[in-house]
Amino acid sequence: MSTLKRTVLFNEHIKLKANMIDFGGWEMPVNYPEGILEEHLYTRKKAGIFDVSHMGRFVVTGKEAAKFLQHVLTSNVMALNVKQAQYTIIPNENGGAIDDAYVYRFGEDEYWLVVNASNAEKDWTHLTNEIKNFDAEIENISDDYAMLALQGPESKNILSKLSKDPYLNEPAKNSLDIIELDGKEVRISKTGYTGEPMGFELFLKAEDAPAIWNSLMENGAKPMGLGARDTLRLEAGFPLYGHEFGTDINGEEIKIFSVPLAKFAVSFAEDKGDFIGKKALLNQFEALQRIMKKDFSDITDLPKILRLFALTDKGIGRNGFKVFKDGVEVGYVTSGTMVPYYKTEVNGLNDVQKEEKDIRAIGIALVDSHVVVNDQIEVEIRGKRAKGIIVPYHMKADIPPFTRPIIYG
Amino acid sequence: MQIIEGLYYSKDHEWVKVEGDKAYVGISDFAQDALGDIVFVELPEIGTNLIQGEALGSIESVKAASDVYCPVSGKVIKVNEILVDDPALLNEDPYENWMICVELTEKDQLDQLMNSAEYEDFCNEEA
Repeated sequence: MSTLKRTVLFNEHIKLKANMIDFGGWEMPVNYPEGILEEHLYTRKKAGIFDVSHMGRFVVTGKEAAKFLQHVLTSNVMALNVKQAQYTIIPNENGGAIDDAYVYRFGEDEYWLVVNASNAEKDWTHLTNEIKNFDAEIENISDDYAMLALQGPESKNILSKLSKDPYLNEPAKNSLDIIELDGKEVRISKTGYTGEPMGFELFLKAEDAPAIWNSLMENGAKPMGLGARDTLRLEAGFPLYGHEFGTDINGEEIKIFSVPLAKFAVSFAEDKGDFIGKKALLNQFEALQRIMKKDFSDITDLPKILRLFALTDKGIGRNGFKVFKDGVEVGYVTSGTMVPYYKTEVNGLNDVQKEEKDIRAIGIALVDSHVVVNDQIEVEIRGKRAKGIIVPYHMKADIPPFTRPIIYG
Repeated sequence: MQIIEGLYYSKDHEWVKVEGDKAYVGISDFAQDALGDIVFVELPEIGTNLIQGEALGSIESVKAASDVYCPVSGKVIKVNEILVDDPALLNEDPYENWMICVELTEKDQLDQLMNSAEYEDFCNEEA
């Protein structure tokens, strides 16, 4: 275990009696004593904090910082105002993803890029190579800063106990600022990976992280391990590199437009101009337009799509399990498990989150592009086939502050 | 971690409680703790003849799916259906909540299992 990397919050996780695992070379908490289910529910009802310091943090500065990012990212960085963040993808020439990432614009020519821990080295090599042609610099600040996520309905109230900054009342998603929190300078953004309507990500100087972590807990947040992080993002329908991005089970690259979220992360705007993988991405996009009109005559540029599914039979559709439609194999599960939820009482526009809990088997599958929402499917679980359905979403976040689970069958 | 005296234990962390010619089979506290939140339990049909070491069913937690192996050969005469509706009972009390009851066909197989003291040593080595 001694060769594993540790975040600056390692000792806090040990004090909290976390169950530690090797996650992409990092010794990280998978869950705390209450367990994944209770952790997940606490984020949905109150607020959870996540140590995401293992992720890679790069700062891009210089006169051509934006121009460089336009070249190496799929999103339109020109559309990003100062104090805004956006979801993006680092593409390769073939229209596959080197990684998915978030870009935060903290200053006129200062962009922070957060990438997956397991890809950080590969991303760094790629970006430092590409930046040579631009009047811009990239710096790896992963060790200088820690990163926390505070997510859930209570997250703003918790932060308000530690800061009087008016930023906290800023309602817009993806807005960011530099504020003082508990006497420390913190970079903060209204972003996250849980689907919560209220949630923040915090960049802290590494030495400040343990104190802030503990302050947030003293004020009502509970720690979340990687287990709950995974079930929360799965319920929100968010992709995870290595499952929904990267190479598929057959060793073939998953196309960026196979991921539904790509619609919001890829821009062909005029002011973006040319960028890595643009041609391949345009072909995928055109195929997607046809698929959305249920025209499956030419899907060679996008033969597979990621779809959410819910099982209506008993059982759990896990990673790698085969998916069938009308008895024919159409793909496989990329992520799947059981997630807990609070039942909601349907009450017109004011659905109420109840105390009563339940659990459901949901997942994401990479399937042939002709498989669409509402299609009946089957997932093969240890030789037996369990019925399920392709769904548009697993939950909704349209009535803040709570998310609502959408249950099928 | 809780280990109960008077039960037999397997290296796969199942326990066996013998009552005459019958044996109740479940998973140990060590097993439930390692699995985490248990969310799904699959049990065999009554009447199934299980051979020692054969999967009697499976348990799934949020994290993973695991087969449960029958530590003794026997014919399944009872299954604990309550677990199918409330799998979390295995986390709450893995010794009270047995999974299956078999009619023992080869009682001398019990000699191959560990007693509580041996099992405690075994768990300490695994941990």
